[in-house]
Amino acid sequence: MLPKSSPVWQNCFWKGEPMKHEAVCYTAEEVLKRGKSNIPSELLSGNSLVYSSPATLAYNSPGAEGFGVKRAGLSVPESVMLIVAPGCCGRNTSLISSMPEYKNRFFYLEMSEPDLVTGRHLNKIPDAIGEVLTFLRDNGKKIPRVVMICITCVDALLGTDMDRVCRKAEDALEGSEFEGVKVRPCYMYALTREGRCPPMVHVRQTIYSLLEPMEKDPRSVNIIGGFAPLENTELIEYLKLAGIRNIRQISTCKTYEDFLQMATANFNIVIDPEVRAAAEDMNKNLNIPYVELTRVYSTDKISSQYKALASVTGIDIIDSEEKAEADEAIARLKEAFPDLTVNIGECANANAFELALSLTRMGFKVDEIYSVLAPENFVYVKNLAMLSPDTKIYCNMEPTMLYYKISQSKAHVTVGKDAKFYCPDIPNVAWNQDTRPFGYQGVRDLMNKIFEALTEAKA
Amino acid sequence: MKGLRKVLTPFAPDQSGASGVLYSMGALIVIIDAGGCTGNVCGFDEPRWHESRSAIFSAGLRDMDAILGRDELLAAKIKSAVERIDTSFVAVIGTPVPATIGTDYKALKKLIESKVDIPVVPVKTNGMKLYNEGEKEVYKALIDEFADDVHSDAKDQIVLGMTPLTYGRDHIDLSIDDIRNIRGAGKLIAASSSGIDACEYLGRDFEIVSPVYKNSIPEGITGRTLVCHDEVVGKTLRDAGVECDIATFFKLHDSVRQAGDKKITEEDEFIEMVRTGGYDTVAADICLKELVPDYKGNWVDLKCFAISGRY
Repeated sequence: MLPKSSPVWQNCFWKGEPMKHEAVCYTAEEVLKRGKSNIPSELLSGNSLVYSSPATLAYNSPGAEGFGVKRAGLSVPESVMLIVAPGCCGRNTSLISSMPEYKNRFFYLEMSEPDLVTGRHLNKIPDAIGEVLTFLRDNGKKIPRVVMICITCVDALLGTDMDRVCRKAEDALEGSEFEGVKVRPCYMYALTREGRCPPMVHVRQTIYSLLEPMEKDPRSVNIIGGFAPLENTELIEYLKLAGIRNIRQISTCKTYEDFLQMATANFNIVIDPEVRAAAEDMNKNLNIPYVELTRVYSTDKISSQYKALASVTGIDIIDSEEKAEADEAIARLKEAFPDLTVNIGECANANAFELALSLTRMGFKVDEIYSVLAPENFVYVKNLAMLSPDTKIYCNMEPTMLYYKISQSKAHVTVGKDAKFYCPDIPNVAWNQDTRPFGYQGVRDLMNKIFEALTEAKA
Repeated sequence: MKGLRKVLTPFAPDQSGASGVLYSMGALIVIIDAGGCTGNVCGFDEPRWHESRSAIFSAGLRDMDAILGRDELLAAKIKSAVERIDTSFVAVIGTPVPATIGTDYKALKKLIESKVDIPVVPVKTNGMKLYNEGEKEVYKALIDEFADDVHSDAKDQIVLGMTPLTYGRDHIDLSIDDIRNIRGAGKLIAASSSGIDACEYLGRDFEIVSPVYKNSIPEGITGRTLVCHDEVVGKTLRDAGVECDIATFFKLHDSVRQAGDKKITEEDEFIEMVRTGGYDTVAADICLKELVPDYKGNWVDLKCFAISGRY
């Protein structure tokens, strides 16, 4: 303990020079001037303590929000999850397990301090799985086809070989009434959030590793990357018109057998870069090639993507009608609110920088963006700076966001759940639903949602 | 199996207890984690976070930071934040990550204090213990660091352990000035298990009572009752005339324990107590009812945030 007379202790209640109490931000122009290799450290992740904003919870905590590792792992039909971790790692699962679809699907094997030293929790996993399966059977529940073992930072640091642990657990079920139940690892390693194989990449690899080679069906396609279905997007219609009979998404597979049919696909459509590694695995192991489509909010870009998709897959795509509808929705919003100014967060079904650029190109103004600026998004900022140099960029993780003041903002509407947190009095379109908007449908629906939010606020 | 939960989700861990006590004290709270533990605190275990902002930060550790023990980097991040955030002291809260790599908290305190001109209070939590242990640890750390022998502005009464995790909206926050002057307070009240630990640590006489239940027996409690909550809630109801046994998933002090009371850990222990105890009433968080769907007696919902997360 410091002596009470020490200057350090005395300073405890001395505030010194008044601080600025301002959230750090940079304009798009300032970021452009500094260049891609010199992005301000306050806008990047990993350089400072991490402020606890809603977006940070989703970004930094792989089990906390939306489809984190826990919900993602359970997207496999007829699966349950055993979380093998200190109690703290499973605590917020209460939020999820109260949802009806997750009832009787989460189980916990809590680690104790001796487990940390001896690693004996790993030896308990086969018995714990047996007890969980018996519990489900005794309570009249269906025996799951897969048990996902979710482990956390502790085992990342202990260097646990979870593949071996899972194999051992499967072996232990041999000869029992539960023989054939698969056991797979899910790594909820927040520590590796920015590593080579982050948790949300790995969990997708785990999920699709369950597929086994099957005879190909030339009229089957998978759309992979999401854990909830795409919204009613035109992409599905284009595929159907091209004669594709089976369009599978993991979230629309009702049974484990339905899920296994994903191995018959002629090709995969990747709609999230975090599934790219799994798509590569499927290409290698199941001989299913993939094409990648990005969710963007520029109708011209969407049109180009569909042209590219048509050319690569040899199907016909005529998108003029849907493009016109999306353009009409933009025009309607523009006509009703010609000076519309928007603030955009990253807790939304959009890349905040791409959306900002698209909205600016549509003729709207973007006052503020709240998002970590990953170097790969610099290209959007570069183009944004040409059109809207004064757009301010804040980083959700930056400690000074504690001092963000709503009074600074000129926006009429905000997009993103986190944007509402910063601007609680401005009409908000959360746009962070589980189901994924995509293509022209995404543009059209977002424009309509903004229109509705503003009209409602005006009324 | 010991440690296996088939029905309940885990209870509030020690790090949530620690940050709950610190929340109102104006500290720069740094949770030494990769992000998940802070997500659990702010996204779940700290209901006040949705209502008022507090300076709770994640250390944002990445795998190599932990493997290489980059305490210097952590200290530099804290220094940078202290220079920009108004705060009177820094609290660093442990999680499973520093527990695994064997962080030396005394050395960490010294290192950070060499870079910032305010006190640093390390809290040795590890995410494997329950919230009351975290509250106890932080009370002890705060008393060690701040409690003054000379007390100029002491209060007549200070209530310890009345946090949202035990009492939800009925919590009473303490300020850092309360801690400074705690030795001179006219009266100390322990409102929960951690309050008892803190009062014992101070080595002063104190009263064990829950201000919420002191003069208010929840409606519906009749006959022989099993109270499953914090031990002080059970004791207060007993002192008010309820004929009850206390079951607690948290700590049960000898000063509270009577024949029939039990510290429980596993789901099965609670099930057995209810099934074999012949109780007319169970007074416990309603989420525990799922463990004993066949219980036909009277159930009084005693909300406990640390158990169910209901505020």
